Amino acid sequence: MLMPRKVKHRKQQRGRLTGDAKRGTAVSFGDFGIQALEPAWLTARQIEAARIAMTRHVKRGGKVWIRVFPDRPVTQKPAETRMGSGKGNPEHWVAVVRPGKVLFELAGVEPELAHEAMDRAIQKLPMKARFVVRAGTHGVPEVQV
Amino acid sequence: MPEIVLNAEVGRTLGSRSARRLRAEGKIPGVVYGHGTDPVPVAVVGRDLRVALSGESGSNTLLSLAAGDQTFLTLAREMQRHPVRGTVIHVDFQIVRRDEIIAADVPITLVGEALEVHHGDGLVDQQLFTLPVRARPSDIPTVVELDITGLTIGSALRVADLQLASGVTTDLEDDVAIVTGQPPRVQALETEGAEGEAGEGSEAQTEIDTSGAAGEG
Repeated sequence: MLMPRKVKHRKQQRGRLTGDAKRGTAVSFGDFGIQALEPAWLTARQIEAARIAMTRHVKRGGKVWIRVFPDRPVTQKPAETRMGSGKGNPEHWVAVVRPGKVLFELAGVEPELAHEAMDRAIQKLPMKARFVVRAGTHGVPEVQV
Repeated sequence: MPEIVLNAEVGRTLGSRSARRLRAEGKIPGVVYGHGTDPVPVAVVGRDLRVALSGESGSNTLLSLAAGDQTFLTLAREMQRHPVRGTVIHVDFQIVRRDEIIAADVPITLVGEALEVHHGDGLVDQQLFTLPVRARPSDIPTVVELDITGLTIGSALRVADLQLASGVTTDLEDDVAIVTGQPPRVQALETEGAEGEAGEGSEAQTEIDTSGAAGEG
Protein backbone atom coordinates (compact mmCIF):
# COMPACT_ATOMS: atom_id res chain seq x y z
CA MET A 1 0.00 0.00 0.00
CA LEU A 2 1.04 3.59 -0.57
CA MET A 3 2.37 5.57 2.39
CA PRO A 4 5.03 8.21 2.96
CA ARG A 5 8.57 6.98 3.66
CA LYS A 6 9.04 9.54 6.39
CA VAL A 7 7.06 12.49 7.70
CA LYS A 8 7.96 15.64 9.56
CA HIS A 9 5.12 15.26 12.08
CA ARG A 10 3.51 11.94 13.03
CA LYS A 11 0.04 13.34 13.72
CA GLN A 12 -1.97 16.00 11.89
CA GLN A 13 -5.10 17.98 12.57
CA ARG A 14 -8.11 16.97 10.51
CA GLY A 15 -8.74 20.14 8.53
CA ARG A 16 -11.86 20.99 6.50
CA LEU A 17 -13.09 19.26 3.39
CA THR A 18 -14.82 22.09 1.57
CA GLY A 19 -14.68 23.41 -1.96
CA ASP A 20 -13.57 21.86 -5.23
CA ALA A 21 -10.18 20.57 -6.30
CA LYS A 22 -7.89 23.35 -7.44
CA ARG A 23 -5.53 21.27 -9.51
CA GLY A 24 -5.31 17.78 -10.96
CA THR A 25 -8.79 18.12 -12.46
CA ALA A 26 -7.97 17.12 -16.04
CA VAL A 27 -6.78 13.88 -17.61
CA SER A 28 -3.09 14.68 -18.12
CA PHE A 29 -1.12 11.47 -18.59
CA GLY A 30 -3.36 8.78 -20.05
CA ASP A 31 -6.46 8.66 -22.23
CA PHE A 32 -9.10 7.90 -19.61
CA GLY A 33 -9.60 8.75 -15.96
CA ILE A 34 -11.70 8.47 -12.83
CA GLN A 35 -12.88 11.84 -11.51
CA ALA A 36 -14.18 12.31 -7.98
CA LEU A 37 -17.57 14.03 -7.70
CA GLU A 38 -17.73 14.25 -3.91
CA PRO A 39 -15.25 15.14 -1.18
CA ALA A 40 -13.79 12.23 0.78
CA TRP A 41 -10.78 10.87 2.57
CA LEU A 42 -9.42 8.10 0.35
CA THR A 43 -7.50 5.51 2.32
CA ALA A 44 -4.45 3.70 1.03
CA ARG A 45 -6.47 0.45 1.14
CA GLN A 46 -9.19 1.92 -1.05
CA ILE A 47 -6.64 3.19 -3.56
CA GLU A 48 -5.05 -0.25 -3.66
CA ALA A 49 -8.41 -2.03 -3.99
CA ALA A 50 -9.43 0.23 -6.87
CA ARG A 51 -6.09 -0.29 -8.58
CA ILE A 52 -6.33 -4.06 -8.28
CA ALA A 53 -9.93 -4.09 -9.56
CA MET A 54 -8.92 -2.01 -12.57
CA THR A 55 -5.72 -3.82 -13.49
CA ARG A 56 -7.29 -7.27 -13.07
CA HIS A 57 -10.05 -6.39 -15.49
CA VAL A 58 -7.60 -5.01 -18.03
CA LYS A 59 -5.63 -8.30 -17.69
CA ARG A 60 -2.70 -7.33 -19.87
CA GLY A 61 -1.28 -4.22 -21.44
CA GLY A 62 -2.25 -0.75 -20.46
CA LYS A 63 -0.64 1.69 -18.10
CA VAL A 64 -2.17 3.04 -14.91
CA TRP A 65 -1.39 6.34 -13.22
CA ILE A 66 -2.40 6.92 -9.60
CA ARG A 67 -2.86 10.68 -9.26
CA VAL A 68 -3.46 10.79 -5.51
CA PHE A 69 -1.11 9.89 -2.69
CA PRO A 70 -2.22 9.08 0.87
CA ASP A 71 0.07 11.43 2.77
CA ARG A 72 -2.22 12.35 5.70
CA PRO A 73 -2.08 10.21 8.86
CA VAL A 74 -5.35 9.32 10.58
CA THR A 75 -5.21 8.55 14.28
CA GLN A 76 -7.52 6.40 16.39
CA LYS A 77 -7.75 5.81 20.11
CA PRO A 78 -7.81 2.15 21.15
CA ALA A 79 -11.23 0.61 21.85
CA GLU A 80 -12.69 1.01 25.34
CA THR A 81 -10.25 3.75 26.29
CA ARG A 82 -11.23 6.58 28.60
CA MET A 83 -11.18 10.04 27.05
CA GLY A 84 -8.11 12.19 27.57
CA SER A 85 -4.49 11.13 27.66
CA GLY A 86 -3.75 12.81 24.36
CA LYS A 87 -4.33 12.08 20.72
CA GLY A 88 -4.58 8.48 19.50
CA ASN A 89 -2.07 6.52 17.50
CA PRO A 90 -1.63 6.84 13.71
CA GLU A 91 -3.61 3.96 12.20
CA HIS A 92 -3.76 4.55 8.49
CA TRP A 93 -3.05 7.01 5.70
CA VAL A 94 -5.51 8.92 3.57
CA ALA A 95 -5.49 11.20 0.55
CA VAL A 96 -7.74 14.24 0.81
CA VAL A 97 -9.96 14.28 -2.27
CA ARG A 98 -12.16 17.17 -3.31
CA PRO A 99 -14.70 17.16 -6.16
CA GLY A 100 -13.12 17.30 -9.59
CA LYS A 101 -9.90 15.51 -8.69
CA VAL A 102 -8.75 12.91 -11.22
CA LEU A 103 -7.82 9.88 -9.10
CA PHE A 104 -6.62 7.34 -11.65
CA GLU A 105 -5.67 7.43 -15.29
CA LEU A 106 -5.40 4.64 -17.83
CA ALA A 107 -3.85 4.38 -21.29
CA GLY A 108 -3.12 1.72 -23.87
CA VAL A 109 -6.52 -0.04 -23.83
CA GLU A 110 -9.71 0.21 -25.85
CA PRO A 111 -12.31 2.73 -24.60
CA GLU A 112 -14.92 0.05 -23.82
CA LEU A 113 -12.46 -1.99 -21.78
CA ALA A 114 -11.24 1.12 -19.99
CA HIS A 115 -14.80 2.09 -19.11
CA GLU A 116 -15.56 -1.37 -17.72
CA ALA A 117 -12.32 -1.51 -15.74
CA MET A 118 -12.79 1.95 -14.28
CA ASP A 119 -16.41 1.23 -13.38
CA ARG A 120 -15.13 -1.68 -11.30
CA ALA A 121 -12.56 0.57 -9.67
CA ILE A 122 -15.23 3.18 -8.88
CA GLN A 123 -17.11 0.53 -6.88
CA LYS A 124 -14.16 0.41 -4.48
CA LEU A 125 -14.17 4.14 -3.80
CA PRO A 126 -15.93 5.86 -0.88
CA MET A 127 -17.37 8.68 -2.98
CA LYS A 128 -19.30 9.21 -6.19
CA ALA A 129 -16.96 9.24 -9.15
CA ARG A 130 -17.22 9.07 -12.89
CA PHE A 131 -15.36 7.87 -15.96
CA VAL A 132 -13.82 10.74 -17.94
CA VAL A 133 -12.01 10.91 -21.28
CA ARG A 134 -9.19 13.27 -22.24
CA ALA A 135 -10.63 16.43 -23.81
CA GLY A 136 -10.15 16.64 -27.55
CA THR A 137 -10.02 12.85 -28.01
CA HIS A 138 -12.61 10.11 -28.57
CA GLY A 139 -15.21 12.64 -29.68
CA VAL A 140 -14.98 14.75 -26.52
CA PRO A 141 -14.89 18.43 -27.54
CA GLU A 142 -12.04 20.65 -26.41
CA VAL A 143 -14.44 23.40 -25.44
CA GLN A 144 -17.48 22.51 -23.36
CA VAL A 145 -20.00 25.21 -22.55
CA MET B 1 -6.29 30.87 -42.43
CA PRO B 2 -9.61 32.80 -42.50
CA GLU B 3 -10.63 34.15 -39.14
CA ILE B 4 -14.00 33.51 -37.55
CA VAL B 5 -16.06 36.45 -36.41
CA LEU B 6 -17.09 36.32 -32.76
CA ASN B 7 -19.24 38.97 -31.15
CA ALA B 8 -18.34 40.15 -27.66
CA GLU B 9 -20.08 42.48 -25.25
CA VAL B 10 -17.94 45.16 -23.69
CA GLY B 11 -18.49 46.98 -20.44
CA ARG B 12 -19.40 44.00 -18.30
CA THR B 13 -19.36 44.55 -14.57
CA LEU B 14 -16.30 43.12 -12.88
CA GLY B 15 -16.42 40.76 -9.94
CA SER B 16 -17.38 37.21 -9.14
CA ARG B 17 -21.05 37.94 -8.55
CA SER B 18 -21.64 39.50 -11.97
CA ALA B 19 -19.46 36.86 -13.60
CA ARG B 20 -21.65 34.15 -12.07
CA ARG B 21 -24.76 35.91 -13.35
CA LEU B 22 -23.25 36.10 -16.84
CA ARG B 23 -22.57 32.36 -16.77
CA ALA B 24 -26.15 31.70 -15.71
CA GLU B 25 -27.23 33.55 -18.89
CA GLY B 26 -25.05 31.27 -21.01
CA LYS B 27 -22.28 33.81 -21.45
CA ILE B 28 -18.60 33.44 -20.66
CA PRO B 29 -16.65 36.32 -19.11
CA GLY B 30 -13.31 37.05 -20.71
CA VAL B 31 -10.63 39.64 -21.22
CA VAL B 32 -8.91 41.01 -24.31
CA TYR B 33 -5.28 42.05 -24.02
CA GLY B 34 -2.03 42.25 -25.94
CA HIS B 35 0.30 44.63 -27.77
CA GLY B 36 0.39 47.09 -24.91
CA THR B 37 -3.32 47.85 -24.97
CA ASP B 38 -5.29 48.18 -21.79
CA PRO B 39 -7.13 44.97 -20.90
CA VAL B 40 -10.78 45.07 -21.99
CA PRO B 41 -13.23 42.93 -20.01
CA VAL B 42 -15.71 41.28 -22.38
CA ALA B 43 -18.37 38.60 -22.38
CA VAL B 44 -19.05 36.16 -25.22
CA VAL B 45 -21.98 33.83 -25.79
CA GLY B 46 -20.85 30.36 -24.75
CA ARG B 47 -22.52 28.64 -27.67
CA ASP B 48 -20.83 30.94 -30.18
CA LEU B 49 -17.43 30.36 -28.59
CA ARG B 50 -17.90 26.61 -28.73
CA VAL B 51 -18.87 26.76 -32.40
CA ALA B 52 -15.94 29.07 -33.16
CA LEU B 53 -13.39 26.81 -31.48
CA SER B 54 -14.81 23.51 -32.74
CA GLY B 55 -13.46 23.94 -36.25
CA GLU B 56 -10.44 22.33 -37.81
CA SER B 57 -7.94 24.48 -35.91
CA GLY B 58 -9.57 23.88 -32.54
CA SER B 59 -8.48 26.30 -29.86
CA ASN B 60 -5.87 27.84 -32.19
CA THR B 61 -8.56 29.32 -34.42
CA LEU B 62 -8.01 32.97 -35.34
CA LEU B 63 -10.91 34.96 -34.02
CA SER B 64 -12.00 38.36 -35.26
CA LEU B 65 -13.46 39.62 -32.03
CA ALA B 66 -16.05 42.33 -32.54
CA ALA B 67 -16.11 44.12 -29.20
CA GLY B 68 -18.25 47.21 -29.33
CA ASP B 69 -16.96 49.53 -32.03
CA GLN B 70 -13.57 47.85 -32.14
CA THR B 71 -12.47 44.65 -33.85
CA PHE B 72 -9.49 42.67 -32.57
CA LEU B 73 -7.67 39.82 -34.28
CA THR B 74 -7.25 37.42 -31.39
CA LEU B 75 -6.47 33.90 -30.28
CA ALA B 76 -8.31 32.26 -27.39
CA ARG B 77 -5.83 31.55 -24.62
CA GLU B 78 -5.86 30.27 -21.06
CA MET B 79 -9.35 28.83 -20.90
CA GLN B 80 -10.28 28.30 -17.26
CA ARG B 81 -12.54 25.31 -16.72
CA HIS B 82 -14.90 24.33 -13.94
CA PRO B 83 -13.21 21.56 -11.93
CA VAL B 84 -16.19 19.20 -11.98
CA ARG B 85 -18.34 20.19 -14.94
CA GLY B 86 -15.41 20.89 -17.25
CA THR B 87 -17.17 23.87 -18.79
CA VAL B 88 -15.24 27.00 -19.73
CA ILE B 89 -15.72 29.66 -17.05
CA HIS B 90 -13.32 32.32 -18.31
CA VAL B 91 -11.35 32.90 -21.47
CA ASP B 92 -8.47 35.17 -22.39
CA PHE B 93 -8.27 36.65 -25.86
CA GLN B 94 -4.76 37.64 -26.89
CA ILE B 95 -4.45 40.26 -29.60
CA VAL B 96 -2.15 39.11 -32.40
CA ARG B 97 -0.89 40.51 -35.69
CA ARG B 98 -0.80 38.49 -38.86
CA ASP B 99 2.91 39.16 -39.43
CA GLU B 100 4.26 38.36 -35.97
CA ILE B 101 5.58 35.07 -34.70
CA ILE B 102 3.49 33.77 -31.83
CA ALA B 103 3.59 30.72 -29.59
CA ALA B 104 0.84 28.11 -29.66
CA ASP B 105 0.27 24.54 -28.54
CA VAL B 106 -0.66 22.16 -31.35
CA PRO B 107 -2.08 18.69 -30.67
CA ILE B 108 0.07 15.73 -31.73
CA THR B 109 -1.83 12.96 -33.51
CA LEU B 110 -0.37 9.48 -33.88
CA VAL B 111 -1.02 7.87 -37.26
CA GLY B 112 -0.36 4.32 -38.39
CA GLU B 113 -0.16 1.13 -36.40
CA ALA B 114 2.86 0.15 -34.33
CA LEU B 115 2.67 -3.51 -35.37
CA GLU B 116 5.98 -4.55 -33.83
CA VAL B 117 4.96 -3.16 -30.45
CA HIS B 118 1.55 -4.84 -30.59
CA HIS B 119 3.04 -8.20 -31.66
CA GLY B 120 5.40 -8.04 -28.71
CA ASP B 121 2.51 -7.27 -26.30
CA GLY B 122 4.06 -3.89 -25.67
CA LEU B 123 2.46 -0.53 -25.07
CA VAL B 124 2.55 2.60 -27.20
CA ASP B 125 3.15 5.23 -24.54
CA GLN B 126 2.48 8.76 -25.74
CA GLN B 127 4.34 11.18 -23.50
CA LEU B 128 3.78 14.46 -25.30
CA PHE B 129 0.24 15.34 -26.36
CA THR B 130 0.76 18.91 -27.54
CA LEU B 131 3.73 20.51 -29.24
CA PRO B 132 4.63 24.11 -28.38
CA VAL B 133 5.30 25.81 -31.71
CA ARG B 134 6.23 29.25 -32.91
CA ALA B 135 4.74 30.48 -36.15
CA ARG B 136 2.71 33.23 -37.76
CA PRO B 137 -0.98 32.98 -36.81
CA SER B 138 -1.90 31.84 -40.30
CA ASP B 139 0.84 29.19 -40.37
CA ILE B 140 -0.08 27.44 -37.11
CA PRO B 141 -0.83 23.83 -38.10
CA THR B 142 -4.12 22.30 -37.01
CA VAL B 143 -2.41 19.07 -35.90
CA VAL B 144 1.09 17.65 -36.03
CA GLU B 145 1.01 14.07 -37.27
CA LEU B 146 3.55 11.47 -36.23
CA ASP B 147 3.77 8.15 -38.03
CA ILE B 148 4.37 5.37 -35.47
CA THR B 149 4.54 2.49 -37.96
CA GLY B 150 8.27 2.08 -37.41
CA LEU B 151 8.07 2.16 -33.62
CA THR B 152 9.60 -0.83 -31.86
CA ILE B 153 9.74 -1.93 -28.24
CA GLY B 154 12.43 0.01 -26.43
CA SER B 155 12.64 2.72 -29.07
CA ALA B 156 11.21 6.21 -29.06
CA LEU B 157 10.07 8.76 -31.60
CA ARG B 158 11.33 12.20 -30.78
CA VAL B 159 10.75 15.81 -31.70
CA ALA B 160 13.43 15.44 -34.38
CA ASP B 161 11.20 12.87 -36.12
CA LEU B 162 8.39 15.37 -36.65
CA GLN B 163 7.82 16.87 -40.06
CA LEU B 164 7.08 20.52 -39.38
CA ALA B 165 5.86 22.79 -42.15
CA SER B 166 8.04 25.66 -43.26
CA GLY B 167 7.70 28.68 -41.04
CA VAL B 168 6.89 26.53 -38.02
CA THR B 169 9.50 25.93 -35.32
CA THR B 170 9.44 24.44 -31.87
CA ASP B 171 11.34 25.40 -28.73
CA LEU B 172 11.67 21.81 -27.58
CA GLU B 173 14.99 20.01 -27.88
CA ASP B 174 15.24 17.46 -30.67
CA ASP B 175 15.78 14.56 -28.25
CA VAL B 176 12.52 15.03 -26.30
CA ALA B 177 10.54 11.80 -26.59
CA ILE B 178 6.99 12.03 -27.94
CA VAL B 179 6.05 8.38 -27.98
CA THR B 180 7.88 5.29 -26.72
CA GLY B 181 7.38 1.58 -27.21
CA GLN B 182 7.13 0.10 -23.71
CA PRO B 183 7.94 -3.57 -23.11
CA PRO B 184 5.38 -5.86 -21.47
CA ARG B 185 5.56 -5.72 -17.68
CA VAL B 186 7.09 -9.02 -16.60
CA GLN B 187 9.46 -7.58 -14.03
CA ALA B 188 6.55 -6.38 -11.91
CA LEU B 189 5.23 -9.95 -11.76
CA GLU B 190 8.39 -11.17 -10.05
CA THR B 191 8.38 -8.29 -7.57
CA GLU B 192 4.77 -8.82 -6.56
CA GLY B 193 5.28 -12.57 -6.32
CA ALA B 194 8.07 -12.00 -3.81
CA GLU B 195 5.68 -9.96 -1.70
CA GLY B 196 3.31 -12.88 -1.40
CA GLU B 197 0.83 -11.72 -4.03
CA ALA B 198 1.63 -14.35 -6.60
CA GLY B 199 -2.05 -14.80 -7.40
CA GLU B 200 -2.18 -11.37 -8.97
CA GLY B 201 -0.18 -12.28 -12.01
CA SER B 202 -2.69 -10.86 -14.46
CA GLU B 203 -2.65 -7.39 -12.95
CA ALA B 204 1.13 -7.31 -12.89
CA GLN B 205 1.03 -7.05 -16.68
CA THR B 206 -0.21 -3.50 -16.29
CA GLU B 207 2.25 -0.74 -15.56
CA ILE B 208 1.57 1.44 -12.51
CA ASP B 209 2.84 4.98 -12.25
CA THR B 210 2.44 7.12 -9.13
CA SER B 211 4.63 9.97 -10.32
CA GLY B 212 1.56 12.01 -11.22
CA ALA B 213 0.28 11.98 -7.65
CA ALA B 214 0.02 15.43 -6.12
CA GLY B 215 0.03 15.92 -2.40
CA GLU B 216 -2.53 18.72 -2.50
CA GLY B 217 -5.83 19.00 -4.24
